[in-house]
Amino acid sequence: MTGQTARIWHAVAGAIVLGALACNAGAQPSLEYAVKAEYLAKLSPFIDWPAGSFDSAAAPINLCLLGADPFGAVLDRAAGAEVLARVIAVRRLPSPDLADSCHILYLGAAAPALPEALGGRPVLTVSDSDAIPAMIQFVIRQNHVRFIIDEDAARRAGLHISAKLLALAIAVKRGPP
Amino acid sequence: MTLPPKGSRWPVGLAAGAALLLLLLGVVMAHYEDTLYSQQQQRSFQDLAEILAASVTAAIEFDDSKAAQEYVDALKVNPAILAAGVFSAQGRIAAFNRSGIAPLARPQSPGTRESGDNIISTTVPVEQKGHVVGFVSLQAAGEPPARRMARYLGLILLGAMAALVIAVLNLSQVALVSRARQLSDVNARLRQEMLERARTEEALRQSQKMEAIGQLSGGIAHDFNNLIMIAKGNLMLLRRRTGLNEHLRFVINADAALDRAAGLTQRILAFSRQQALTPRPIDISELVRGMADLLRHSAGETIAIRTDLQAKWLVSCDANQMENVLLNLAINARDAMPEGGTLALETRDIVLDRAPDGAEEVQPGSYVQLSVSDTGLGMSEEVRHRAVDPFFTTKPQGKGTGLGLSTSFGFVRQSRGYLTIDSAPAKGTRITIYMPKLQEQST
Repeated sequence: MTGQTARIWHAVAGAIVLGALACNAGAQPSLEYAVKAEYLAKLSPFIDWPAGSFDSAAAPINLCLLGADPFGAVLDRAAGAEVLARVIAVRRLPSPDLADSCHILYLGAAAPALPEALGGRPVLTVSDSDAIPAMIQFVIRQNHVRFIIDEDAARRAGLHISAKLLALAIAVKRGPP
Repeated sequence: MTLPPKGSRWPVGLAAGAALLLLLLGVVMAHYEDTLYSQQQQRSFQDLAEILAASVTAAIEFDDSKAAQEYVDALKVNPAILAAGVFSAQGRIAAFNRSGIAPLARPQSPGTRESGDNIISTTVPVEQKGHVVGFVSLQAAGEPPARRMARYLGLILLGAMAALVIAVLNLSQVALVSRARQLSDVNARLRQEMLERARTEEALRQSQKMEAIGQLSGGIAHDFNNLIMIAKGNLMLLRRRTGLNEHLRFVINADAALDRAAGLTQRILAFSRQQALTPRPIDISELVRGMADLLRHSAGETIAIRTDLQAKWLVSCDANQMENVLLNLAINARDAMPEGGTLALETRDIVLDRAPDGAEEVQPGSYVQLSVSDTGLGMSEEVRHRAVDPFFTTKPQGKGTGLGLSTSFGFVRQSRGYLTIDSAPAKGTRITIYMPKLQEQST
């Protein structure tokens, strides 16, 4: 219940924030990024990481940011509002070398190239630009935040993306099974 | 053949109970089936709602009402579903409703219920990893009661059929029992009639036999009597001519023998009911009283004589022959009591409405009843049956002629009376004579 209440509050806050952002851009992230932050926090239930991806049953989900951070404190709030089996730990990475400890990795603008070694690690990469290839790419369609999923890349990384999430994607890249 | 007693109706009651039970069972089963079906129907819609809820978690989480609407629209293929809705924490994100059905409002709590007009409403929570993120609601039309009832019609018909079969079987059973009872009644009556007929035929044969013997022996006796009379007349002439000499003795002997022969023919005529009788009104009680001395004398010392003479009415008969009858019966009684006993002589006036037991030939009417009973050896059934046959005797050779009872019987019958014999071995014998009361014609 508390989660739900928080959610409602959050939505209301989002709407207020939208109004606020219109005249106060820069200091606070736009509504777009508030929604994206929330979606980032909500992704984890639809992703299956391979066994051994977490150190223990209580280990947190590491949600990492690389490059520019468009969310600020909104992401930390969204992550904190999620009531899941694991806590979501938001980590802002100074260097791509630490990326292999991430479960979800958001690649912001001007994010440095990822090391080759990360290719085989089960790290779900997320971006919001065509320029930065990622497994999930946020796009804007009809004033809604939607996403394109590269299921092929995810599968290569050993990740399984829920069909429920795939059903919401406006496009899914699938390689040969 | 044994039949249930007439009052017994238990098979009918039992069958009626069984039929009622069957019907009741049918109704209970139909109701149970209906409840089960109703629950199953609710369950199936709830399952549908749960499937939808599981499908729309991502759509709710990522606020994708278009995707949610696609899931909701998939339900339209089921015509029973009237309305559906997906609700997130913010409100309705997807819904549809058929024309005439109000759109669903955001539900308050999960649950399934059926309203009176057969509308099933179900709401299930949408859960994401253990916590509620929204609700899915469905409104569906249940099967109308008329259609449901139609499905149980077969069951009810089956029960009714069984009841009907039992009823029909029962009716025919009752009819059979009553028919069997009728048949058995008719059978019993038939056997009774056959028995009576056999008895009547036997009596008729006996009387015809007696008739034949009587006519034959009577005819012979008449002719014989005439011959005896001729012989006697000639002997009488011879006696006159012979005078008093030694030859007279032969004539007297022959004459005595002829007298005995004449007596014999008289007795034959008596049982053949052709003897010459001179009936006159007599009081039988008086007659017995007058013979008491003679009877006591002939009975002997070892036999007690008891008399009970109450008859007052007069009868019409030949007094001498009646005395002979009485003497005959007394002698028979004496011979039946070699060790001594009691000889009872009773008379009384009696009006018979119907034939007395064991003497069916006696016609109803007013009689003077004379009975001679002893406490002697009695007779077997076979002997009793043949007792009045002429020449039938149980006495030793030369002691009896076998004509005593038969002449008595012949005399009584000739006098329009009846003679019955009541006897059993070691129980004594009772001879009863019914003489019709003399009708006073003058007064």
